[in-house]
Amino acid sequence: MSATAKPYGLLAEFDNTTDVLHAAEQVRDAGFRKWDVYMPFPIHGMDRAMGLKNSKVGWFAFIGGLTGYTTGMLMIWWMNAIDYPILIGGKPMFSPHGAFPPSYELTILFGAFGSLFGMLFLNRLPRLHHPLLKHKRFALATHDRFFVVIETADPKYSETETRKLLEAAGSKRIEMVED
Amino acid sequence: MSKDTSSNNVAAPPPPLDLARWRMLPVRLVAVGAVISVIGALVDLKGFGYAWLLSFMFFLSLGLGGLFLVLVHHLFDAGWSVATRRFCEHLATLLFPWMAILFIPIALLAPQLFAWMGPEEGASASHIHALHAKLPLFTWAGFYLVSAACFGLWWLLSDRLKHWSLKQDETGSAECTFKMRMHSCWGIWVFAFTLTFGAILWMKALQHQWFSTMYGVYYFAGSVWLTLATVYVITMILDRQRVLSVVLHEHQYYFLGTLLFAFTVFYAYVTFSQYFIIWNANMPEETFWYVVREKGTWFYVGLVIIFGKFFIPFLALLRIDVKSNFGVMVLIAAWAWVMHFVDMSFNILPVYYPNGFPFHMVWLPLGIMALMGGLLAMVFLKKFASAAPFPQKDPRLVEAMGLYHPVPTQISGGELDQTDDMPDATVQPKRSH
Repeated sequence: MSATAKPYGLLAEFDNTTDVLHAAEQVRDAGFRKWDVYMPFPIHGMDRAMGLKNSKVGWFAFIGGLTGYTTGMLMIWWMNAIDYPILIGGKPMFSPHGAFPPSYELTILFGAFGSLFGMLFLNRLPRLHHPLLKHKRFALATHDRFFVVIETADPKYSETETRKLLEAAGSKRIEMVED
Repeated sequence: MSKDTSSNNVAAPPPPLDLARWRMLPVRLVAVGAVISVIGALVDLKGFGYAWLLSFMFFLSLGLGGLFLVLVHHLFDAGWSVATRRFCEHLATLLFPWMAILFIPIALLAPQLFAWMGPEEGASASHIHALHAKLPLFTWAGFYLVSAACFGLWWLLSDRLKHWSLKQDETGSAECTFKMRMHSCWGIWVFAFTLTFGAILWMKALQHQWFSTMYGVYYFAGSVWLTLATVYVITMILDRQRVLSVVLHEHQYYFLGTLLFAFTVFYAYVTFSQYFIIWNANMPEETFWYVVREKGTWFYVGLVIIFGKFFIPFLALLRIDVKSNFGVMVLIAAWAWVMHFVDMSFNILPVYYPNGFPFHMVWLPLGIMALMGGLLAMVFLKKFASAAPFPQKDPRLVEAMGLYHPVPTQISGGELDQTDDMPDATVQPKRSH
């Protein structure tokens, strides 16, 4: 790595789920904000150990669904009652009953778009590269190791103190990852 | 990041809920309700019959809903619902003999309540044709035999499920689980058919010329919806009283809330589909049912159902945190009771009060609701006191508690259950509300 590379964060390796769960609790209690835990499979209780709140994706889905429903109703009203009215079966030109099924479908579609693109937006995806991917041992996060990464951009970050915290939490191998 | 969620600190729990001062409530309800019912029967016997039918169909929902929750618990081999299963079994056993006893006034007044049972001389050709097309169900023998069969099957099913559940409390044998599962297998079919027959014969037959293949499902969706709201509140009360606390985990509330949400949507789906298909086809022999319900204030009652039984609970239950917020959930459950009452009124009362909701007579169905509710509450509490509050030795009990215990069991066929490999993980405590 070149000498001019900026440090990205401290990568602490853990051998088992219990250690990493307790480490996450300690990092959470220390008040860090820019950090994450990487593991090969979901660990029950990790959300709480990390102090994660419920995801905001639901809002995107809700607003997407609302937009879809409104779009459907307006589209059918405009097309059937304004733009090209055709009388069918003596029904009114526009009726919310008849317009409901397509509007409902659009609710589902836009709701799904909202949740998918909302998720991508909140995760800042897609991105082509991540500093951690350069690190060789990090590949073990998909195998049998657990990692806690605290970014240097975190306001609470300090080269020595943060390292001490992670050591005290039981990490046997702590390395600096460069950007 | 919040710091309030340390897994080691559990806030001191509030003292157990003391409901001693409400102990006499069911008895008082029965007393008041009985007086009102007698007055109602003397004032207007036919009106009394419809009000009784309304109240009967309302509480039948709770019995059938309880039975359904027990059946699906066994069919899906569920773990979480072990904690709430015992009182659902009690709800199901209300179907016999108690709901059957409450059916007696309907059986006696049926010839007055159901137009099809009356004399055919003055009836129109379409009236007679609609009746003859539905033989032999719409005969006196058909009505009483099918009604008796429904109660008989509900008795057999709910009694067997409760019997083996109580037996497992003593023996802890896996045989009991197998037996309950076996009864659920035939039971779910019988449940579907008997519920449909009940909904058709006792409620839809008030306007027997009508056609709707959705009607049974419609009653089923509303019934389970009401039951889930009720089960949520019962669970919450028993938790606050420290009766169920040891076996409850946060996820029971979340799952019950999610199911309530699902049935809110399912009910709306079925109700709308029934309306939409009839609206679209626009055939007089189907639309008349809705035309009657757009006269007078019934039109507004229909709107109350659309907004009150779907939009309000739907929007209220959307957020994940609401499903474990007791304050909001109690309000939603109380609202569910009001809405199911309104929905049953919408189905039953327009036959007798075609000009609109009978506000001047609303004391009568409410009085009968008090009578039946009080009586069934007394029976339910007695049943609840007579057995352990939750299945004591159910093999899935440990899962309901939120613990994972990988042991090969008879239930899993000697295989290890799929579990997490966390030998010494911390147990997540239940959040205190």
